[in-house]
Amino acid sequence: MNLKDNINPKISLIIGISFAVFIDLVLSKLMASWSYSWLPVQASKAAPYVDNLFAFETGIGTFIFLGCSGVIGWVLLFNRAPKYDESYGEPFEGNVKLEIVWTLVPLFLVIAIAIYSTKVNTTLQNLGEKTKYDSQKELPTYLDNNEASAGTFIDVISRQWSWEFKYPEGFSSSELHLPINEKVYFRLISKDVIHGFYIPAFRLKQDIIPGSIISYSLTPTRKGIYRLRDSMFSGAYFSQNQTNVIVESKDAYQEWINKTVKKVPVDGLNQAGFLYKKRLEKGDKGWATISPSPSPQVNDPGNPDSAHEG
Amino acid sequence: MTITNYDERIIKVNQPVPGAPNNWRRFFGFNTDAKVIGIQYIVTALIFLLLGGLLGMLIRGELITPPSDLFDPTVYNGLYTMHGTVMLFLFLFPILSGLTNLLVPPMIGAPDMAFPKLNALAFWLVPVFSIVLLTSFFVPGGPASSGWWSYPPVSIQNPLGHFLNGQMLWIVAIGLSGVSSIMGAINFVTTIITMRAPGMGFFKMPIFIWTVLAAQILQLLGLPALTGGAIMLFFDLNFGTSFFNPETGGDPVLFQHFFWFYSHPAVYVMVLPVFGIFSELFPTYSRKPLFGYKFVAVASFGITILSLVVWVHHMFYTGTPMWMRNLFMFTTMLIAVPTGVKVFAWIATLWGGNLRLNTPMLFCLGGLFNFIFGGITGVMLATVPIDIHVGNTYFVVAHFHYIIFNTIAFGIFAGIYHWFPKFTGRMFYEGLGKVHFTLTFIGATLNWLPLHWAGLLGMPRRVASYDPEFAIWNVIASIGAFMLGVASIPFILNMVSSWSRGKKSPPNPWDAIGLEWLLPSPPPHENFEDDIPTVLNEPYNYGLNKPFVVDEEFYISKALNDS
Amino acid sequence: MTTTKSEVLLHTPGHVKHDGHNLTGFIIFLCSESIIFFAFFVGYGVLKITAPTWYPDGVSGIAVREPLINTIILVSSSFVIYFAERYLHKKNYWGFRIVWLVTMLMGSYFVYGQYVEWSELTFSLSSGVFGSLFYLLTGFHGLHVITGILLMGLMLIRSFIPGNYDSGEMGVESISLFWHFVDVIWIILFILIYVWQ
Ligand code: HEA
Ligand code: HEA
Ligand code: CUA
Ligand SMILES: [Cu+2]
Repeated sequence: MNLKDNINPKISLIIGISFAVFIDLVLSKLMASWSYSWLPVQASKAAPYVDNLFAFETGIGTFIFLGCSGVIGWVLLFNRAPKYDESYGEPFEGNVKLEIVWTLVPLFLVIAIAIYSTKVNTTLQNLGEKTKYDSQKELPTYLDNNEASAGTFIDVISRQWSWEFKYPEGFSSSELHLPINEKVYFRLISKDVIHGFYIPAFRLKQDIIPGSIISYSLTPTRKGIYRLRDSMFSGAYFSQNQTNVIVESKDAYQEWINKTVKKVPVDGLNQAGFLYKKRLEKGDKGWATISPSPSPQVNDPGNPDSAHEG
Repeated sequence: MTITNYDERIIKVNQPVPGAPNNWRRFFGFNTDAKVIGIQYIVTALIFLLLGGLLGMLIRGELITPPSDLFDPTVYNGLYTMHGTVMLFLFLFPILSGLTNLLVPPMIGAPDMAFPKLNALAFWLVPVFSIVLLTSFFVPGGPASSGWWSYPPVSIQNPLGHFLNGQMLWIVAIGLSGVSSIMGAINFVTTIITMRAPGMGFFKMPIFIWTVLAAQILQLLGLPALTGGAIMLFFDLNFGTSFFNPETGGDPVLFQHFFWFYSHPAVYVMVLPVFGIFSELFPTYSRKPLFGYKFVAVASFGITILSLVVWVHHMFYTGTPMWMRNLFMFTTMLIAVPTGVKVFAWIATLWGGNLRLNTPMLFCLGGLFNFIFGGITGVMLATVPIDIHVGNTYFVVAHFHYIIFNTIAFGIFAGIYHWFPKFTGRMFYEGLGKVHFTLTFIGATLNWLPLHWAGLLGMPRRVASYDPEFAIWNVIASIGAFMLGVASIPFILNMVSSWSRGKKSPPNPWDAIGLEWLLPSPPPHENFEDDIPTVLNEPYNYGLNKPFVVDEEFYISKALNDS
Repeated sequence: MTTTKSEVLLHTPGHVKHDGHNLTGFIIFLCSESIIFFAFFVGYGVLKITAPTWYPDGVSGIAVREPLINTIILVSSSFVIYFAERYLHKKNYWGFRIVWLVTMLMGSYFVYGQYVEWSELTFSLSSGVFGSLFYLLTGFHGLHVITGILLMGLMLIRSFIPGNYDSGEMGVESISLFWHFVDVIWIILFILIYVWQ
């Protein structure tokens, strides 16, 4: 009591607030470093940039959230009216200085986030450029492009509901094999509706628009098996439209190519077709759907049961 | 020449609400009284909340285990499409129209809406388009199943080839809902602009009125774009035109622009009135003036204007060029600024107050808490590189349910409890209200918090089956969802029993400031009739010695006598 | 606190009129309606610029002469309707009725011209992007013209009800506003479809 009386109330308020802000900052920092563990493994050059940005925003977000809810919690603990107390609180109507502060601070924060993410955008664009072409007017031809000719070129063909990957060596596969640490170029093609090319471990997602061809590129950086998911709702068996991405060493990749080129084409992975057949056998119950397009003919149908990370 | 044995005055029982038949039947007919229409809207909408919630629980039932074992995937797709549509167009928009109808005329001292007949017509379209939408469950092929976005080409595939199909009924229902909303918007805007009480300049209007005005102007500007898009979609689906059909040269992405040009602002149409409710309730229950009234009022229009130029943030991964991504990222994030002004003003209003934690206040506090969280995940989504990863995953689903259920539905519950005594003349049971709040808060948090992590790990939305690694988050979420179902029981009990046998309410049970609190509970048919008060100040001067209207005593004693 | 206490306590009940907002409401409606057209125009522009094929097979352009005559008639009717309103203000009811009828006839001629044009065209609603857009835009506009004519008919009949104008000329004013609106939309439409080929 004595101590409290001696200190100027304004100073004790400032000390209290600084203490609260300090705790808030520490917690936000902790949350930001924890946030990396909420995301899948980082398997592409782009992933660390995205994750850093996410951690940055988690930090800012935590700071704001804890700050606001801290005040709400304080008020709930210390400013509750006793039962039957109908009296008023301190009647202050506003404070223009404070209003300006809390207009400008979020404005600066938002500008900071926007500048940071614009930079990341540019970085990502340089790591994996993306262009949209009208399929009836022009086709992207990589092979004329000197810079591009250093990489691997794969056509990604999406259907309702299966994936097909066409390799320049002239064969196709139901699973996407990629060599590690090498830039790969895709042409994303849809045969029917909009699909989404989404590989969480690579932190990338791109819609595939029928009528257009979108070129896309990326560099995988970690060996392993990852999941490729259709991310844009594409009809009845949308959730089955998934396959594996296998990132392997350059040698293993070359070996896989040599082996697969020689294989005879068979029906590719087509989980939707399988389920649809089962549905027909059971008397075609359920609501109407387009029938799945026939399985693509591929040289390697892959192994859908292999375990994936991320 | 009929001979009556009774005195006329005995047959016609004295009616407490002058001009309105004193029975429940008036709620089932074509009535032009805004207060009747308001209650019609609210009750209809709550029934659809129950339906939408049931569909939500079926979805969560399917998702409690990874494979699609409860329903065929086609059925799952229909269920979530109808869940989204029912919740937005049959529950949320109607219930907000209901609250607006109830509150706008008394709050501004008007006797009724500017166009009472148009108002009733707008309401009666709700059952019409609801029936249209719900019949689609029974047409061959089932209801619309392409998501509430109805993106072509999926939405124009029409598997059975029938003219009468679920998707077509969906478009018709949305179109009629748009017509109803436009009628409502014209009415609300005209009423607010032309029928305010003497002395009530714009800067003396309650914040709720400000937010309604901002929201309804958005309806007028945005909704026609959706209608235009829907008309084209209808023709593509049924008459073989090629606006959005890539096979004949159309552009499917064009539809997305039409859709989001409206449907983004639509989210602010939904949230703005809830901001209004927060701004009314926080001062009342903290016993303090609203902090920075003018800033809070103007911020509503800041949100309105900005929200018209952010729609591309729903399309970052569709192949939009870089300049567009950066531009729309920035405009989207700017919305945090006027929204922040409001959030901080509410918190400052709480600070140093004398808080009364009854049910409406609890829902407000819970809603504000959840809104800050949902807003921050919104800013994360606006960040292009992050959206490229989490877009179309459960992170988005969690973001918007945090706002749409955990904030907006909370705010609506708060508003219903707060104004329940005013418009029914009865008090609700505080204990049941607290049970409702506790179950809802815990259920909602269990339901939506865990799904953020499922989304960050890459679980796409709109899937009937998923990889087993996401199971844990989904189990918790489903338990939360079922808890929300349980939470509706005390609410229904409370509403029904309080309305029929609750304690009589005084004109101003919360000791609140506002024109509506100067009226008897329930207010008479034409509110103040020809005795409209002259407003002197904005209605938030708790504890300040500023008179609210000229001759307040007169109105208070009048209200007491009429109650 | 400049007002003295006695002034504050003086009870002067106010009164809010709740009729006479019809025009305000109608103007708000028209603003909103124009956005549907705006959406269609944007759609037209975007598809015209980006679509891989524009005109349907065998069509190289679209004739301008007949539509131009149509345009002139519709645009002049906007002036004619103004004179009808003037007559009504001066309480010259027969003058109003006759000029009003002339406007209706001009509008009907426009619809007829539109019908003739449609029946002579070699492409249909489902002939590619241009076909779809052409019929959508002209059709949706045509519906508005027909609505306008029907509403004018209604007003014409009501003008025979004694005392119809005692409480103002709101109906006539609104319809006339609507007619100008339909006109402006047509001018934009004409420029988009016929001039920008
Ligand atoms: C109904 C209400 C509602 C509201 C109010 C919001 C508010 C916001 N939303 Fe949300 N949103 C939806 C409903 C809503 N949203 C829906 C339904 C969808 C999905 C539709 C679908 O796909 O089906 C969606 C989807 C959605 C997306 C698309 C994601 C995707 O599909 O990939 C994005 C991306 O930018 C986004 C962003 C935002 C932002 C930035 C806000 C901002 O307005 C939030 C602003 C608020 C705050 C930030 C908190 C308070 C502020 C402060 C305390 C100040 C300080 C803060 C900072 C400096 C950060 N939302
Ligand atoms: C207002 C909007 C709203 C609301 C409130 C909700 C509420 C809920 N939603 Fe929502 N949801 C959407 C709008 C909404 N949703 C939209 C737009 C989509 C996207 C659709 C799409 O992708 O196309 C979606 C998608 C969506 C999904 C994702 C589906 C998928 O992508 O595959 C899921 C899954 O968990 C889900 C579940 C739930 C649950 C469990 C609730 C629960 O919170 C519900 C709890 C409510 C109740 C249990 C009812 C309680 C009833 C009362 C209190 C009324 C009392 C009655 C009387 C007095 C008569 N919803
Ligand atoms: Cu009608 Cu006053
Ligand atoms: Cu949005």
